[in-house]
Amino acid sequence: MKETLHISNNQKINAFLLFFIVTATQIGVGIHGFQRVIYQDAKQDAWISVILSFLLAHIVVYIMMKTLDMYDSNDLYGIHIDIFGKYLGNFLNILYIFYCSSAFFVIVKNYTEVINTWVFPYLSSMFLCLSILSIIIYTFKGGFRVIIGICFFSFFFLLWIPPILIIPLKYSDLNYLLPILDNELKGILKGVMSMSFTIVGFEIINFVYPFLKNKTKYKRYVHLGMLFTLFLYLSIMFVSLTFFSGEQLMKTIWATLTLFGFIRLPFIERIEIITICLWMIIILPNLCLYMWAAYRGVQRMVNISVNKFLLIFSSIMFVSGIFINKRTDINLLNDWFGKYAFAVVFIYPFILFLCALLKRQIKKMQVSNSEKS
Amino acid sequence: MKKVKQLLLILIFCSFLIGCTETKILERISLATLIGYDVANENDENVTATVIIRQVSPDNKSTLETQTNTEATNQGTRIKVNLQTAKKMLAGQTHTILFGKNLAERGLEEPLHGLMMNSELSSSIYLAVVDGDAKPLIEGNYKNITDIGQHVYNLIDHNVQRQHTVSSTLHEVVRNNYSPLRDLAIPIIKKEKDIIKINALAIFAGSKMVGQLTSEEAFYVIMLRDKFKAGALELKLPGDTLDQEKNTDEKLHVAIDSIQSKRTIKLVDKSTPEYDVEVDLACRIVELHSNANVGKPDVTKKLEKAIGKEIEKELKRIVKYTQEKNSDIFGFGDDYYASVRNSNLTEEKWNELYPNAKVNFKVNIEIVRNGVFE
Amino acid sequence: MFNKKKKEKQKKQQNDQQKKEAKKESKKEPISSNRYEFLQSLKEKLHSPSDLIIRYVSPTTTVIYVDNLVDISLLNEQVLKEVQNAKQGATPQDIHTNLKLPEVDVMDELNKTILEMLIGACIIHIEGFSEVVIAKISSIQSRGLSAPENESQVIGSQVGFNESIATNISLVRRYITNPDLCNEKFTLGHQTNTSLSLLYIHGIATEEQVNTVRQRITDLDIADIIDSAVLEGLIDDNSLSLFPQMLLTERPDRFCDGLLSGKVGILVNGSSMAILGPQSFIEFFQSREDQNLRWSIASFVRLLRFIAIFISIYLTPIYVATLTFHYEVIPQPLLVPLNESRAIVPFPPIIEALLLEIIIELLREAGAKLPTKVGQTIGIVGGIVIGTAAVQAGITSNILIIIVALGALSSFTTPNYMMGNAIRIIRFPIIILAGFWGYFGIMLAVCFIFTHLLRQTTLGAPYLAPFYPPRWKDWPDSIIRLPSTFLSRQGINNRNPQGNNQGENEGNNQKSEKKVTE
Repeated sequence: MKETLHISNNQKINAFLLFFIVTATQIGVGIHGFQRVIYQDAKQDAWISVILSFLLAHIVVYIMMKTLDMYDSNDLYGIHIDIFGKYLGNFLNILYIFYCSSAFFVIVKNYTEVINTWVFPYLSSMFLCLSILSIIIYTFKGGFRVIIGICFFSFFFLLWIPPILIIPLKYSDLNYLLPILDNELKGILKGVMSMSFTIVGFEIINFVYPFLKNKTKYKRYVHLGMLFTLFLYLSIMFVSLTFFSGEQLMKTIWATLTLFGFIRLPFIERIEIITICLWMIIILPNLCLYMWAAYRGVQRMVNISVNKFLLIFSSIMFVSGIFINKRTDINLLNDWFGKYAFAVVFIYPFILFLCALLKRQIKKMQVSNSEKS
Repeated sequence: MKKVKQLLLILIFCSFLIGCTETKILERISLATLIGYDVANENDENVTATVIIRQVSPDNKSTLETQTNTEATNQGTRIKVNLQTAKKMLAGQTHTILFGKNLAERGLEEPLHGLMMNSELSSSIYLAVVDGDAKPLIEGNYKNITDIGQHVYNLIDHNVQRQHTVSSTLHEVVRNNYSPLRDLAIPIIKKEKDIIKINALAIFAGSKMVGQLTSEEAFYVIMLRDKFKAGALELKLPGDTLDQEKNTDEKLHVAIDSIQSKRTIKLVDKSTPEYDVEVDLACRIVELHSNANVGKPDVTKKLEKAIGKEIEKELKRIVKYTQEKNSDIFGFGDDYYASVRNSNLTEEKWNELYPNAKVNFKVNIEIVRNGVFE
Repeated sequence: MFNKKKKEKQKKQQNDQQKKEAKKESKKEPISSNRYEFLQSLKEKLHSPSDLIIRYVSPTTTVIYVDNLVDISLLNEQVLKEVQNAKQGATPQDIHTNLKLPEVDVMDELNKTILEMLIGACIIHIEGFSEVVIAKISSIQSRGLSAPENESQVIGSQVGFNESIATNISLVRRYITNPDLCNEKFTLGHQTNTSLSLLYIHGIATEEQVNTVRQRITDLDIADIIDSAVLEGLIDDNSLSLFPQMLLTERPDRFCDGLLSGKVGILVNGSSMAILGPQSFIEFFQSREDQNLRWSIASFVRLLRFIAIFISIYLTPIYVATLTFHYEVIPQPLLVPLNESRAIVPFPPIIEALLLEIIIELLREAGAKLPTKVGQTIGIVGGIVIGTAAVQAGITSNILIIIVALGALSSFTTPNYMMGNAIRIIRFPIIILAGFWGYFGIMLAVCFIFTHLLRQTTLGAPYLAPFYPPRWKDWPDSIIRLPSTFLSRQGINNRNPQGNNQGENEGNNQKSEKKVTE
């Protein structure tokens, strides 16, 4: 269709980098404690929920890419305006910008919470927020390619996780996985929904799409990236399910970290402390990309310079961060965001796809009508 | 550009201002390495904590200090202990936690929960029950032990690694504690004059200690719970195993090691319930108080059979004992839950079922090799 | 934003340049045909220096030169002889043709003549002609070729550049006998008039990058260049960054190796360091010697170097962070020695570490400034004496001494001095961060460094290549070095998009190049 974004060639990235972008955005703070939330719903079949949620995500991402393919080179914001017109489109854009901002906020809050609980109980969360913000601003100012570069490097900070999971495997008991499918399907499906907080991130392709150099073969990289995330989540889920007993898992807030805390290497103990600090580079691309996505949206609506946007965005994040500090508040926030994300990421793309199809049909009809007349 | 740079500078500057945090400089804190909990008073909730604190004195020597205090919660105790020490006490290097027998009999629910909530403690620390009270064991003077905290940890750790006793990391204990169908087993250590030894195995029902098994019996517990990678065992076989002329009452002593075992538990009948337990065990003979030629196939076969019988007998006895105490330390309940669909098995229900459960054993022994001298 | 400013700056510079050139042109002075007037103007320009020698060979002919700049024997045997033997009424053209010297010229412009004379030419002025003959007989005073001291290597050639640009170019020409080797000459600095050469191999080097370098050099408006390091700081992409973006090397083989892989090189007169670019971050840690070694050994050495960077940057901060905040991660067996070694140290770990790091830096700096033999002694004696004394006095713990010494040692494995400096300096802020916020502070630093490196470019090419943007084909020659069949001669960073790139059919090219270097 008509509207296209013009991106200069040196801004564009190779399609295979999508693999890293997708893994980097999907893996964030959720991985620290997603087991508990899903176990509450799906019990010992939680791993099925994980697989199902990824299945759903693959379908969703396929639909997303189909929608994007209808346009030559445009992001979601442009598609909104094209389909729904200026006012409704902009309204949807605001919703999406709000979604990106809240994702940013939720990640920062959860990360500071983890640091405060495990490593520095007395460190002001304001400081944590500020320091993370300053790093993000510095990265963000480097431009899109630098953000993707951070995505790329952060991937390699994940690779040590699967091998280290072998150690707790020694203490695992396969009985905890049995009997398979003993719970109602409803519970498993509910678990799928609870996964949404952990699994979201791939929607970023909605905005990265116009920046791709080669738009014909990019789909496989998105799917591959999601498969890697699935592998990581699934292995952590399996180990946690067999390592913890049910009741215990339900009481463990950050099961992954507790799991790591158990691991004792000859030269180092308490790996979870290092993991938590290391996680900064894992969430950095997450945060940068959400901020960037929000910026792209804002830029479309109002003519705003990068610096002004950064100033406004970070001060909003900082100030709202001051008010939400209690664990209960953060839990509420996570629940709310999970639902919002489920709606935005898992349901909305189908609607959008249908609308886009409809629009195309109407256009075709109009064209043929005009040809006839 | 300039503005953002200024903003960044201000941000960084502000960070320094508000970013002060509590330091825990290694030599300015005192580290608790061993904590023991006892019942303070039969009537109230209070728990006496005895802590071994490692400190470093300026003349380059580590000193150990024992502090005792009584309070209802861990944190309360810690505040009190801090009032008695010159340096801030931290528990992050604690590797072992001991419980007095009285406390174990009263129930470990609250102490365990407290331990898990604390992010300072790793879940890989060992727990043990002390025969008697923990306090005298910790405060005791030992001739050859310089650091009792480390000593107790090494004592338990190496025995767990060698599979001489049941592994009792905080994680495993809590896991079994929160699993409604499985009960705890924690080693018991005891002070005997100048040494500390692993004396027995405490078995629990719920979170209360109900009985104990000897440390030899712990071997069979491990065999039933898990698989062996490297175990060792001494057996007394009936005297007529190899030599028909000898009396049954005369015992034939056999020691085997390099034991590798695997057990499979099968639920055959879910109403009683009835289990078939099959243990495959491969081992090496290291000692045999007989002149019989072990190289001969028929001798080996005889030995295998006798050992299997002996082990079966022991297993039966131990399971019987746990059934009497209603303490499912082997995880039969988990197996029941895992193999019966929609069982809705609750703790109460299993407590009724377990004492009546029937367990059939079949032990297959395979003597793989025997020493260098026949 | 940043670029805009740079562009503005460049524009300004261009304007200035144009103005100056205009000025110069207006000042173009003719040479007076009158001997007296000519000498007068010459003396005026040069402020009648004491080493200006004026010889009146005949009533009409004068020979002028600056003492010590000209080759006396050539002057005697060729110039003076010829001028004296010249017939009465010989024109400058006649002398020009008769002089048996490799470089003779005729000029009619005063300023240029003076410049030539200052380089070492001898001027022959003949009454009645507004032209002079310039005989270039400069005596090149340079030290002989010696082994490069800062970048020594065990296997490979042992020759280094010296301070004469002529020698250096000849060295390069001898390594690369190739008509495509281009040499562009520039004169820079309106006080020093330093000559410099831009070298690249036509067809291998990227046109764009050559243009960039040429543009940056011509845009420069500076008074003086004493050393190539100054020039490097002026023409690299981000001179504010801690990390150098162009290589400074004193090894002709490394320089030629760079040229052959498509880089652009600059030689500056009076400086024994050549500039080479684009140079990615990884390439700073690769030594020319790696190519001389067996691939497995080269890979090992390279890996070792990268581990050394890690040790050198992070080991002390990790020590500080662990002892200040994260005592939990210390394994129990290590706890006792650490604790006991720290027992009598009165400072917190951050002060202790900074103190010791500064002592090490002091020793290094003192060792570098002193004559070689004394320097070495100072390094060893100072290290041992101060180290032992510090531990005995209880100011530092002996474990930290090991860590700091290891860090310093590791920083010296970097094959490039500039990069080694950067690695050493970057430790200090990280130690401070670690002392304030433990592992979190270290991670802040890691993120910052990563981002910073990602933001850098080298002659417009990405600095972190081949890792990011990922160029898998270049990976075999990065942290490790696989056998040459896996390698391409030319990194993508400096690959010519249209040119006849080397390394397309690797095997053959490799061999032919080897022949050339042999």
